[in-house]
Amino acid sequence: MSQTLGMYSSTYQGVNMNLNRIFAIVLRHIFTTMHQLERFFDVIISPVLVLILWGFLSKYVQNIQSSQLASFLLGGMILWVIFEKVSTDIGVNFMFEIWDRNIINLLASPITFLEFLTGLLTISFIKIMIALTSMWLMAGIFYNFQITSLGFGLALLWINLFIFAISFGIFNISLILKYGHSIGPLTWILPFFVQPFAAVFYPISVLPPIFQKIAFFLPISHVFEGMRYTLKFGQFDYGSFWTAVLLNIIYMVASLIFFTLVFKKSLRSGRLVKLI
Amino acid sequence: MTEGKIMDKRVILEVKNLRKNFGPPAGGFTAIDNISFSLKEGEILGFLGPNGAGKSTTIYCILGLIVPDEGNIRIFGKDISKDRSEIFKEVNYASADFNLPWNLTIWENLLVYAKLYEVPEAKKRITELLQLFEMIDFRNTATRDLSTGLRARANLCKALLNKPRLLLLDEPMVSMDPDVVDKGINLLKQIQKEEKITILYTSHNMWEIEEIANNVIFLNHGKIVASGTPLELTQSVLKLEGDEPNLRDVFIHLSRSKYES
Repeated sequence: MSQTLGMYSSTYQGVNMNLNRIFAIVLRHIFTTMHQLERFFDVIISPVLVLILWGFLSKYVQNIQSSQLASFLLGGMILWVIFEKVSTDIGVNFMFEIWDRNIINLLASPITFLEFLTGLLTISFIKIMIALTSMWLMAGIFYNFQITSLGFGLALLWINLFIFAISFGIFNISLILKYGHSIGPLTWILPFFVQPFAAVFYPISVLPPIFQKIAFFLPISHVFEGMRYTLKFGQFDYGSFWTAVLLNIIYMVASLIFFTLVFKKSLRSGRLVKLI
Repeated sequence: MTEGKIMDKRVILEVKNLRKNFGPPAGGFTAIDNISFSLKEGEILGFLGPNGAGKSTTIYCILGLIVPDEGNIRIFGKDISKDRSEIFKEVNYASADFNLPWNLTIWENLLVYAKLYEVPEAKKRITELLQLFEMIDFRNTATRDLSTGLRARANLCKALLNKPRLLLLDEPMVSMDPDVVDKGINLLKQIQKEEKITILYTSHNMWEIEEIANNVIFLNHGKIVASGTPLELTQSVLKLEGDEPNLRDVFIHLSRSKYES
């Protein structure tokens, strides 16, 4: 029995991915975004609105405090949006297949679950690039904040955030597979549980000791510490970067193991076909 | 020599000693209890049984979406647990329980699925199917705006996109009016004849099965309790000597019979 289960599971988690099938998932979500205004809102309008809000706050802080603190706030907000949008988008796009009652049609096709996940990640990547570009332009034009002042380090910070968001997204999908679609709304609340420990707008040192310990084990807290270091000293903080990379590897492996176990169980228990 | 060549070339689907229990090993619910059957090329098998008999679970096992506790499923002579993606390029599925994405137009939906199944000359094939199912005028209509009957036709278009050699239809025309069902059945028969598709068809509408199926399997409590042509079943189960199948009465008789292992 376990042999049979293993074979079925490897079918879904095989590494020979087909680009046509991944593109089909991307195409499906491009069409969805074209037809559903709220998806468009999610990609461009929502990040821009958040930026406007934080832009004014930063301007106020700049007047009464320092321009550096204003940069910390605005930079923190822009990078936080990357994490929040990607991590929730993966779960929400998965939920779309359940809400549309399309998940069985999709999984009955030749697609593997890994290809399906890769398609969801690709569409999240495209969306966040659009959001990031629009925020970068807005911040530059209206608040004179150049996120590119972080230099090449910005790309490295961005990669670490994106990878952690992917781990989070995979964890979200695993929760939906394990507990059913009713858990769905939790997937777009979960990132906010992380936010207090992520040190997005303040340094880890202001947290109580126990929270500092939790923050140490989150890759994104090191990303934000690294961002502040770079903005303050004009040098890239390799210490924070490598700590985040190491933690990201651990989180990615852990989320994939959790997903694999939950997916195998859902195939065995029949929960996969009862998601709707 | 490949596995497929060793087997009877004409066997498209082979289900052997399939068993599936949900819940704890002791006291759980046995959905499929050691069933075996096969479908040959071009055959249409009616898969009948009361609610909870195990029809859908069997189909999900064939689709690889539920892992059986025991047994083996081979499609085109290949083990689905090993070659699923390759096999499923030539298999398709439709059920009235499931929709195509709600906000996409029919054309967009079929284009997405054509990519998933790597259909060559996708646009030509989509146009061909939309014309055949008299849906070409609805190609730019969102799925949510279609009537139940049109949605079912759209599902069938999706199911035929890749010219499947094996088609699994789980109550594809449920809740449709008799006129739409009649048209749907006739279209399916026509396409099946032209493209030599092998079909596993479940329905609670006995007229549909009598119209379309060459052979019938009757499932109850997860076991195959009767099989044969619709006429053979009518004669053997109801002890009738007529030459008209009456699957409705066969269904009622078998469903109400106390199950004995």
